Amino acid sequence: MTKDRSEILQGTLDLMVLQTLDAMGPLHGYGIARRIEQISEEVLRLNQGTIYASLVRLLQKGWISGAWGASENNRKAKFYSITRRGRKQLSAETENWERIAGVMGRVLQLAERR
Amino acid sequence: MFGWLRVVASRIRGWFTIRRLDEDFQQELDSHLALLTEENLRRGLTPEEARRAARVRLGGVTQLRETHRELQGLPWLEALAQDLRYALRMLRKNPGFTAVVVVTIALGIGASTAVFSVVDPLLFRRLPYPQDDQLVSVGYLGPVDNNEFNVVSSYFDWRQAQTPFQFITAMRPGGECDVLIGDTPRQVRCYAVAADFLKTFRIRPAIGRDFSAEDDQPRAPTVVLLSYGFWQRAFGGDAKVLGKTITLNEEPAQVIGVLPKTFEMPQLGDIDVMLPARLDASRPRSANSSSFLRTFARLREGVSIEQARDRLRPLFEESMQKDVPVELRSEARLVVRSLRDRQIHDVKRASWLLLGSVIALFLVACINVANLMLARAVARRRELAMRAALGAGRGRLMRQALTESLMFGLLGGVAGCGAAWVLLRLIVNLAADQMPRLDQARIDLRVLLFALAGSIVAAVLFGVAPALERPRAEFLFGGRTAGTGRTVFRKALVAAQVAISLVLLTGASLLVRSLAKLENQSLGFQPEHVLSASFTLRHHRYQPTSAQITFYDELEARLKRIPAGGSFALSDSIPPRGSMGRPYSNMRIFGHPPLAPDGGMVEFRRVTPGYFQTMGIAILAGRAFTESECASGESPVILSATLARRMFGNENPVGQQIELDGNGHWCPIVGVAADTRNNGLTDPPDPEYYRLRMKGSDELGASGVVLFRTSLDPAALVPWIRKEFAALDPSLPVTVETMEGRVQRFRERPRFVALLVGLFAALGLLLAAVGLYGVLSFLVAQQTREIGVRMALGARPRDIAVQVQKHVGSLMGMGVAAGLAGSLVLARAIRGLLFEISPTDPISLLAAVTVLVVTAALAAWIPSSRAARVDPALALRCE
Repeated sequence: MTKDRSEILQGTLDLMVLQTLDAMGPLHGYGIARRIEQISEEVLRLNQGTIYASLVRLLQKGWISGAWGASENNRKAKFYSITRRGRKQLSAETENWERIAGVMGRVLQLAERR
Repeated sequence: MFGWLRVVASRIRGWFTIRRLDEDFQQELDSHLALLTEENLRRGLTPEEARRAARVRLGGVTQLRETHRELQGLPWLEALAQDLRYALRMLRKNPGFTAVVVVTIALGIGASTAVFSVVDPLLFRRLPYPQDDQLVSVGYLGPVDNNEFNVVSSYFDWRQAQTPFQFITAMRPGGECDVLIGDTPRQVRCYAVAADFLKTFRIRPAIGRDFSAEDDQPRAPTVVLLSYGFWQRAFGGDAKVLGKTITLNEEPAQVIGVLPKTFEMPQLGDIDVMLPARLDASRPRSANSSSFLRTFARLREGVSIEQARDRLRPLFEESMQKDVPVELRSEARLVVRSLRDRQIHDVKRASWLLLGSVIALFLVACINVANLMLARAVARRRELAMRAALGAGRGRLMRQALTESLMFGLLGGVAGCGAAWVLLRLIVNLAADQMPRLDQARIDLRVLLFALAGSIVAAVLFGVAPALERPRAEFLFGGRTAGTGRTVFRKALVAAQVAISLVLLTGASLLVRSLAKLENQSLGFQPEHVLSASFTLRHHRYQPTSAQITFYDELEARLKRIPAGGSFALSDSIPPRGSMGRPYSNMRIFGHPPLAPDGGMVEFRRVTPGYFQTMGIAILAGRAFTESECASGESPVILSATLARRMFGNENPVGQQIELDGNGHWCPIVGVAADTRNNGLTDPPDPEYYRLRMKGSDELGASGVVLFRTSLDPAALVPWIRKEFAALDPSLPVTVETMEGRVQRFRERPRFVALLVGLFAALGLLLAAVGLYGVLSFLVAQQTREIGVRMALGARPRDIAVQVQKHVGSLMGMGVAAGLAGSLVLARAIRGLLFEISPTDPISLLAAVTVLVVTAALAAWIPSSRAARVDPALALRCE
């Protein structure tokens, strides 16, 4: 039971990371975390460290790639960018997500109307 | 689709570079922290606060690194290493338990692999001919020979009219040939075969060509194929041998080819030279019908052996009318059987018996492993519960149980390989010449793996089972409940062991009893203090019969001079084998009506007067031959008791005249001798008569056996005998052996089989005892508290012991009942291997049960006496 829930959360985070990289181009861990927080209008305040587990998973699946570069403050940082395979996965997942969201929306409306 | 594969690959890569990945990640985190700190500074926090807030935002660095590491590497591999270390520690901590399990597995694997390796080439492995399952041996089976044979005239008939075979081919019985290569004379094994012999077996010569139809014409010049081994020995493997001419039995013969290295004669005979049989269909039928052959055939596609037999039968009946003497017809029958059956003829039953008993042993071993693992699992319940309570996941516990079980399996497997090797050596040495194809016995990898898998499955199945059970809190307080379900299961396992062991024991005791009968039977002659020297004269040196006569005369004169301190005789053959027999019904008694036309064969030997004294054969009536008769023109005959009874009933045979082979020559009967074993040791003796070896007779034959009865040490005589032979003909091979040794050879296979089955039975018994001991010890340990209570309430130690013995009784009762049933089935199956012992021999059954019960009682004694010694105060306090 608990496992399933965390899996959904993990999947969600992974999807958000992918989406962020797709929209913003190469980013380092801090950048990704910041961006997700901003977009969610600070609703989603995560332990920024959790982003790294997500990054490892995405790397292992070959959906993103990482390369060392220099950050804004001239520190050595790892920049991640989405791969072609990652984009394909993203569009598939987005579609899937939207379908689920649509269904959920309709179901919830139904409940309200009652 | 292959996403998970990519993940695994990346993880494996990660596992190897974990250190670098760690450093990289640390750097990544550092820079992340720095960026967060700067952000906080921009917000106006003090540097100190900024750094603190940054660390809070990021989360615990140590935990992040831990997670990162787990994601990158192969955590289960590390867990495995941990499990292995733990398992090894456990194995070392319980050396006794470990040793028993490992030895059990090793025995099971070793014995089954070794025996399978020996019987596999006999029972299962393909014969070295393409499509070997189409090959059959065909022919007449009659009292003349143990194997089917054919005669030339019938072979020609069948060849012409048969329908079930693609080919039918023939070979003459093998024999010694004299070969002259350059100036070196050699005696070699040669076989004369039909032109399509090799084609039938789908064998092509390694070099050169096969025989052609022209080579096989009656008067064609001799051509030969050499065996690979002979080619190597005699010509050093020189390919230029093709076209060379050698001298074979005084005739030139051209070498046309060499047989393949792996070639085997279909009846497994040794071969050096193969030549065309050149059978002549134009010879009179009477001549061809007394010329013997072995015939083999290749079935047509889709024809079964049964169908072939049915389709051949009319042909068989027809040619039998022409070729088989009327008096033998009722005893001749048609045989069509697979080549494999022909080859393993007399060891088939022994092979299956050995295989069966070793499978039984393997089962007992597996059950034992299962039982031991279960016992251990129960004993460790408490530990498992403790570990679960401390936070070990069930998957983790199971994985650990699995690792441990596998360790046992692996250790046992390694030891089993060693045991298999040792046992195979042992069997090969024991069996000597008693099993064919022993040189091909190799440790069979498939079987080794199969046996290994079997015992590992047993170990794993029962080692892991307890981990499947949800650890219950009450186990933490010292397993009060015995888990009755599992105890019943374990008892059933032990009962099964007892049953299998009993079957093995019965088999062993039947075989041992049969062997004892074989050893102690009366042979009809006294082999003690008798030395025999046998030889076969070479064809080319003794071609004019006068040379043979001179040889025998001189030999006799020379050997008589040896101071053996006993008697001396010369014969053409000696028991326990006969010579080629003659039909009983060919004989006639002077003044009597012809004999009944049935009655099989009669053996006969030509002997010198000293034969009966030397062999220790009793003369029951009349007298033995005398020296003076040797030169007289008479042909006195001595009958064996069986033959005398059969021909004359209660009449006195001495003084009667009989005709031996329808040639009008009447021979006076001068005596009746006791029966001897002349048909091997196990078959009832054939009737037999003796004729006197006449001085200067040309009927002596090329084979001879010299016999000495001596009061000296036989070994001291051997050089004397050899010297005298060498003086006569230095190139003549002579086999000198004691009569006892000769007889002993006939008992070697029964002894070998009895020994191995006995060994397996003993091992099975030992394992069953270990199993019984284990279960009882476990029961006693489980019931310590109960026993304590009972003793506190006044039970005497004896009552407690009786209580334990009751368990033994119920176990043994079930096991023995099932085992007896199995024993009867087994005994029926091995009836053919038994000599003068009924398969339901009560003594054997009783012996087996007694041994089993005594062993069980011994195994039960320790746990039951331990139970009886339980101190109630201690037993109750320990809870």
